[in-house]
Amino acid sequence: MKRYLLYRLALLVPTLFGVLTLVFLFIHVTPGDPVDIMLGETASAADRQELRQILGLNKPLAEQYRSFLIKLSRADLGRSLYERRSVAAMVSERYPATLELALCAMGAALFISFPLAIWSAVRHGSWTDRATLMFSLLGLSMPNFWLGPLVMIIFAIQLGWLPVSGRDGPDHLVLPALTLGLGMTALLIRMLRANLLRVMSEDYVQTARAKGLSERSVWLKHTLRNALLSLMTVVSLQFGSLLAGSLITETIFSWPGIGRLTMQAIAMRDYPLVQGCVLAISLSYVFVNFFTDLIYRWVDPRITYGN
Amino acid sequence: MPRSKYFLSIGLVLTFSLAACRPTRSDHPPDYLVAAIESYPLQLDPRYATDANGVRIGNLIYNSLLRADPESRLRPELAKSLQLLDDRTYAIDLREDVKFHNGQPLTAADVKFTYESILDPDSRSPKRGNLKLLRAIERTGSYQLRFHLFTPHSPFIEQLTLGIVPADSPANPAVPTQAPPGSGPFVLQAAEPGEQITLRRNPHYWEREPPLAGIVFRIIPDALVRILEFKKGNIDLMQNDIEPDMLPWLEKNTGADIGAYPGTTFQYIGINLTHPILKNVKVRRALAYAIDRDALVRHILKGTGTVAGGVLSPFNWAYEDNVEHWPYNPERAKQLLDEAGFPDPDGDGPLPRFRLSFKTTNIDLRQRIAEAIKEQLQRVGIELDVRSYEWAAFYSDIKKGSFHLYSLAWVGILDPDILFQIFHSASFPPAGDNRGHYSNPELDRLLEQGRATTSQQERRLIYARAQKILAQDLPYVPLWWWKNVIVKKPTVQNFIPYPDGEMISLKETRWAADTR
Amino acid sequence: MATRFWFYAGAALLLLLASAALFAPLLTPYDPLQQNLEQDLITHSRQHLLGTDKLGRDLLSRIIFGARISLLVGASTVGISLLIGVAVGSLSGYAGGIADLLFMRLIDILMAFPGILLAIAFSAILGPGLDHVILALALIGWTGYARLIRGEILSLRERDFVSAARALGCRPRRIIVLHLLPNLLPPLFIQATFGLAAAIVAEGSLSFLGLGVAPPTPSWGSMLNEGRQFLLVAPHLTAYPGIALMLTVLALNLIGDALQDRLESRTR
Repeated sequence: MKRYLLYRLALLVPTLFGVLTLVFLFIHVTPGDPVDIMLGETASAADRQELRQILGLNKPLAEQYRSFLIKLSRADLGRSLYERRSVAAMVSERYPATLELALCAMGAALFISFPLAIWSAVRHGSWTDRATLMFSLLGLSMPNFWLGPLVMIIFAIQLGWLPVSGRDGPDHLVLPALTLGLGMTALLIRMLRANLLRVMSEDYVQTARAKGLSERSVWLKHTLRNALLSLMTVVSLQFGSLLAGSLITETIFSWPGIGRLTMQAIAMRDYPLVQGCVLAISLSYVFVNFFTDLIYRWVDPRITYGN
Repeated sequence: MPRSKYFLSIGLVLTFSLAACRPTRSDHPPDYLVAAIESYPLQLDPRYATDANGVRIGNLIYNSLLRADPESRLRPELAKSLQLLDDRTYAIDLREDVKFHNGQPLTAADVKFTYESILDPDSRSPKRGNLKLLRAIERTGSYQLRFHLFTPHSPFIEQLTLGIVPADSPANPAVPTQAPPGSGPFVLQAAEPGEQITLRRNPHYWEREPPLAGIVFRIIPDALVRILEFKKGNIDLMQNDIEPDMLPWLEKNTGADIGAYPGTTFQYIGINLTHPILKNVKVRRALAYAIDRDALVRHILKGTGTVAGGVLSPFNWAYEDNVEHWPYNPERAKQLLDEAGFPDPDGDGPLPRFRLSFKTTNIDLRQRIAEAIKEQLQRVGIELDVRSYEWAAFYSDIKKGSFHLYSLAWVGILDPDILFQIFHSASFPPAGDNRGHYSNPELDRLLEQGRATTSQQERRLIYARAQKILAQDLPYVPLWWWKNVIVKKPTVQNFIPYPDGEMISLKETRWAADTR
Repeated sequence: MATRFWFYAGAALLLLLASAALFAPLLTPYDPLQQNLEQDLITHSRQHLLGTDKLGRDLLSRIIFGARISLLVGASTVGISLLIGVAVGSLSGYAGGIADLLFMRLIDILMAFPGILLAIAFSAILGPGLDHVILALALIGWTGYARLIRGEILSLRERDFVSAARALGCRPRRIIVLHLLPNLLPPLFIQATFGLAAAIVAEGSLSFLGLGVAPPTPSWGSMLNEGRQFLLVAPHLTAYPGIALMLTVLALNLIGDALQDRLESRTR
């Protein structure tokens, strides 16, 4: 196990490095000039040049890259071109909101998918099973930029049960979390159900049943346990797509998280801020994957890395 | 293995439940008025504020020597009196009863400091260019000062609408939370970046104490969400940036007071006059004939605009109504294009006479307008390639002159001297905003005269002539003057619309039940 | 059997959509770009079955043409992704060593970004336009195929028939193409089906964010974006393109599912 840990850590380094480089590269290659917006119409060319110099936009790409890396080692993500505040501060302000949304979405997904999947597996082949499958298929097929406005209209306006936008209390979480988590819910239902069905038909489970163990303990000891393993991988993989989905969902619901900040930063060509946001999202993703890999390995050492 | 599973599940449940409980946002007292705006003001300090929201909110926090009234006329605010000593010197007597929010009196020293601070290259103010004709500011008493200009320059008076900050306010472009104290009807209470700006009433305001206890400006970038929040009652007031088709819905589904008031914001099509086809005036006139502005205002704007004849709106003291207008006439447009030497290769068939690119921002309404114009021009045989960009890239291209046609709006037009900034041949970017590189010696002369003359009567005649020329030559195709659309709860009273979208009347606004 | 029913259902739906896309000009009652400002925001009428949008354009015609765009973007994206993915994957899997290590790192790095983020970044750089969208999506989509191919090749590499071919002196490329790839077609096809669905949704997302296909080209995603502001007064603008999108993705998921079921039951 320790060897595996070291191995994975070693692999982590180039991955991180590559992520950083890629992030740096595309921010700096985008067209559009933030200086124009900041100084407005009546500023002179000289003023513009000066500001560009202060912001460091004048230096050659290689040098900008170098200072980028050096600052990063000091956890200095630079300052937002617009708000003139530390990017690290802005990102850490918004990060908890996104984390909250993502975790809530994940929690809701687990909460809904578990019972549905179990119920479906137990009543394999019946109408309820088919209905659940269809529901999950629909859930997979609905893009969140459609679902968001739809649930907003139905639940927040027509029925008035829930608030429209913003982050002001637990009820504000419901609609965005549901929108963000629907895809994951659908996927989890299918995966869990498939795994449960598979395990249920395995030899050792039949054996346990034959031996006279109650249905309940068969379930607890074998079926669920095995199904949970694959669940973990799915959950961690999906976490990344939750972060990605947050870009759209947060915009639709005016949720003050990293996703919305990223979109705003891209629109404003606020290079340091976009960099910071993209870094935060990718690094989270990398680390979640890393830890899931470790936990997976720890829980079931039979599984080898590679496939 | 069971243990790890249990830990995992417990962990998840815990995080889930923890997620639901966290501190709620700092709320505001219930009698504050909540207004929705679509973007966070980048600066509030009047020396640095260039975005519309920054300027408008700033005008509630700061006072200026002069202020435009709802009829676009400049009226004294901090200045008790203003005199022209000679053609390049202004003498100002300040009010003596004004105090900053920190209790310090506002004196001539503060005014002098504000203007000098902008002129100081180290402070990097974007408004420095505006003041380049100001030679010196002389303090002639505690409450008296003189502005000395290099040359006679009538439009300078517009620069006296700048907010005044206390002397020795820090010169670096600061974020809204660090804006210097003002002397205006409201005090900056809190600023949450990207979320909201809270103002509270200034009980010692020299005019009179504002009836409103405070104002919260909530930033909601999405137009639909703004409307939904209004319906829920979380917002009391919205101005502009409302989808015109939503107005009937708002009327029916909320008890809102809705009004559309004529304004000065001017929407136009900018033309690149160095383009071989567009430099031909007949082509430009054909464009004007081919665009059915009435239909656009009627159907897409749903009446929230007025078809325009030129940059200056009827609110402007120099407005000239008797200029060439170009009513919708596609046949005439086709004729002109033929005359200009661009015949339609296949009559009414799909082949165009020529192609042009049309740049716009990617705001829904603007794009829709662009597409409608595209179709109208197609009917006369011009193919338009509509390209939409988000603001940064768009503005960058426009300034570089990298366009054929584009559409944009001028906001906050006060003095007709803006025509110099837009159309004089010395105003090619980066010196000015003559992005299309229009050059007309007769117009140049008129505009130079206009800014040097001090008699308003004379200026009026000069600018009347200028507007006639512009309407004939069409370096811009005028589209419309936007109306200011105000949606508010009926309990919000005494909010008076200003033609340039200013929200300064919030100092007089009150709740219906309030008898102050 | 249930699987076969769903497969046919999905296939039928997809066929319907594909033929709508193919024969669009013949099927549409109006030119999807033709405006009529006076007839804006009609919900439905005899002349306009599904109504009109803000500029008076017929919604049904636009949806049918939207199918064309979606399927075009989807198919091109998957096609290019497949080419890149198969090339990289087979090279990596077969050659092993440094090449393998490098490619796997590259894939890890690319997959460290949530796809949409990369797509947005690429689109922001490249600008709007159909070909740019396809390029952006293809550049992020190939990694899945590469991993799949590599994995399969790694396991197949040591099999008898491959050693035999090698012993006979076949060149690596020949071995890959003639012997290994044919075994991989089924899982590849299944992945491509799901990939097509994902590409269609991704294009929709990009167009929704204003980064995809340029107006006035009717893409379902941009129609959803345009219709959003009118959600309260003209929900049909959002409902119908959204349903079309959902049905397409549903059809592809049904097909992919059924194929996967079939494959799994075969290999067990």
